[in-house]
Amino acid sequence: MSKSQVLQGNAIVAKAALDAGCDFFAGYPITPSSEIAQIMSQRMPQMNRYFIQMEDEIASLGACIGASLAGRKAMTATSGPGFSLMQEHLGSACIGEIPLVIVNVMRGGPATGMPTKPSQADVMQARWGTHGDHPIIALTPATSEELYTETIRAFNLSEKYYNPVILLLDEVLAKAHEDFTVPDKSEIYLRKKERIKDLNMFDRKIGDNPHRVDFFRGYSIHMDGLEHDAHGWPTIDPATVDKMQTLRMQKIYHNLDDIVKFNTMEMEDADIMIFAFGISARAAMSAVEIARRQGIKAGLFQPLTLWPFPKVVLREKFFTRIKKLLTVELNMGQIKYEIERVARDDVEKKSLNRANGVPFTPFEILAKLKEF
Amino acid sequence: MRKYEKYIRYRTFPTPWCPGCGNGVIVRAIAISLAEMDIDPKDIVVCAGIGCSGRIPTFFNTNTLHTTHGRALTFATGIKLSRPDKTVIVISGDGDALAIGGNHLIHAARRNIGIKMILVNNGIYGMTGGQCSPLTPRRFYTETTPYGNIEPKFDVVDLLSASKASFVGRETVVRPKALEKIILKSFQHRGFSVVEVISNCHINLGRKNKLRDPIAISRWIKSKTVSQKQWESLSPEEKIGVYPTGIRNEENERMEYTDLYQKHIVPNAQAGLKKR
Amino acid sequence: MEKHEKLLNQEAADKRRKGKKPKTPNKLKVIKQYCKGCGLCVDVCPTGTLELVDYPESKFGIRVEVVAEDHCIGCQMCELRCPDFAIFCNYEEGE
Repeated sequence: MSKSQVLQGNAIVAKAALDAGCDFFAGYPITPSSEIAQIMSQRMPQMNRYFIQMEDEIASLGACIGASLAGRKAMTATSGPGFSLMQEHLGSACIGEIPLVIVNVMRGGPATGMPTKPSQADVMQARWGTHGDHPIIALTPATSEELYTETIRAFNLSEKYYNPVILLLDEVLAKAHEDFTVPDKSEIYLRKKERIKDLNMFDRKIGDNPHRVDFFRGYSIHMDGLEHDAHGWPTIDPATVDKMQTLRMQKIYHNLDDIVKFNTMEMEDADIMIFAFGISARAAMSAVEIARRQGIKAGLFQPLTLWPFPKVVLREKFFTRIKKLLTVELNMGQIKYEIERVARDDVEKKSLNRANGVPFTPFEILAKLKEF
Repeated sequence: MRKYEKYIRYRTFPTPWCPGCGNGVIVRAIAISLAEMDIDPKDIVVCAGIGCSGRIPTFFNTNTLHTTHGRALTFATGIKLSRPDKTVIVISGDGDALAIGGNHLIHAARRNIGIKMILVNNGIYGMTGGQCSPLTPRRFYTETTPYGNIEPKFDVVDLLSASKASFVGRETVVRPKALEKIILKSFQHRGFSVVEVISNCHINLGRKNKLRDPIAISRWIKSKTVSQKQWESLSPEEKIGVYPTGIRNEENERMEYTDLYQKHIVPNAQAGLKKR
Repeated sequence: MEKHEKLLNQEAADKRRKGKKPKTPNKLKVIKQYCKGCGLCVDVCPTGTLELVDYPESKFGIRVEVVAEDHCIGCQMCELRCPDFAIFCNYEEGE
């Protein structure tokens, strides 16, 4: 059991990334995620790993993809405006099935917005920001311990499923200094040393992951941003393209048991379900405690995996008896449409939304609970 | 069997380019240089962006990467930094290197990272149907300049020399032997090296400017390029619109980026010398 | 065949008339399925060894033909200038 220390949220994420084996970081400074780049610039050379500050966010993600293809675990950290710039390369990583971790510390938006204020307004962009059909995994930690474990899980998921993973934080979680103890040794997923037959990298059964090799592994492979066949060669043949699109989506959707994770608090006998993630979940946790003391049977569902959305578990385990739903998110209403679609028609739905940079307090959530 | 044929991926032939397109000559010149240096094909990666020149890597029997438009240098930077011992070659066209990718070009030059770049200059955006590019000569007619181009073109060699690139040269596809020689020298250079190759696009550029067949446009290119010696003997009026070929800049004083990272940053970091 | 292609063949014939045959023979190899009939090798050949011929089997309808191999001086300019790896001069199989 290591001793506890006071660490900034960004520092916890950086520490977790280094423990997960991240050996390439390319970034561009942006408030509020610059500390991750700064810590990486110090620690990476100390550990004989690689750090570079690129000329913009587009270049940062390009360099990360290049390094990932060359066999390194690559990561970058940014905020709203930078995340918007990275979208094209995010799609490139999705079609090439390239492992990658992107930390998006959400701030007030859109455009330049409020650089020093939190928000949770990039959640839909994390799912559909880049053009075209693609699967994505997005994780939303809330406590300082989750900042550590979810970062390690982000690396593990990206390596296992050959897909970019987005870690969604917000400005408060990233900048707050909190008491933190490193959890017991986490399992790190090492990149598979595949052997491939006749350069067939992408063909597999539905639900499986590609057996793709990196560069310099003894094969001369071709990686492309164009739609490709099993060998990676560009193609527009409808049957092949349909198969590849299905394989890419289903490698995530067939493995929801492994990818979807969530926390619940007092949900066993709850009447009202609060759906909140990130900084809103922190307030909701206190709100549930106070509500219970006042006799209101509230419970919290905190998704740790936001995308793919935990639809199945919500429908099968919770919306069978929950009739009241409160969605709390620090934006003008994004995830609420998703969960309200998942909930049954007879569920009473309310939501707390604002995007003015002031996180919700437990008492605001309690006041809304009393309106049910 | 020619020595360079082990670097050619024949199963992807025939090439998709128009008859007479200079891209094939560039493929051969690069393959000959790689054969001369005798590098293992599995230790090489050839990256390219979007465009007709972006299909060049497909024909190499090495690791190949076809990236987004204009960002090939960023992918190459990531690969080179994380695997400094490998050979990384980038092929870019007009738009890829100077329009959308202009920023990455000057930063790669400034960093002096050991990427070997071939900038294919055919004066047009060929793949999308013939729109003007930052390298289209003035007064030329293209799909997006139907009244004549009013923008001057970049001088790539001047631009890169000002960005402190440590090896800059220019050649044309009309002189294949000279092209091989300059590409070989650029590959042997340790830092960031760029060779601008003036190529012919008679289908898209030439079609609207009375240079419709490969022979006519090749002769036109020949008339517009001179050797360095001839360039010095030209008068200022004669110099307009004419370009000197050869190596403009070749300096070895600056250390290459990944070497500097290994020799300066890593030892300092490990000796516990924190930033001030 | 278009006008400029016929002109190329005429120029090749002129070069053959003016030049002398070399003493040592040289061999040329054409890979018909790669040739696109661009005519660059015909233009660049100094002795007029090559000409363009109609070739309906390929989608381009035209390709290069070695019409006077005894005129070839082995300079390899055709091979160097060809963008499609379709012509080789003094190529030894299994080298």
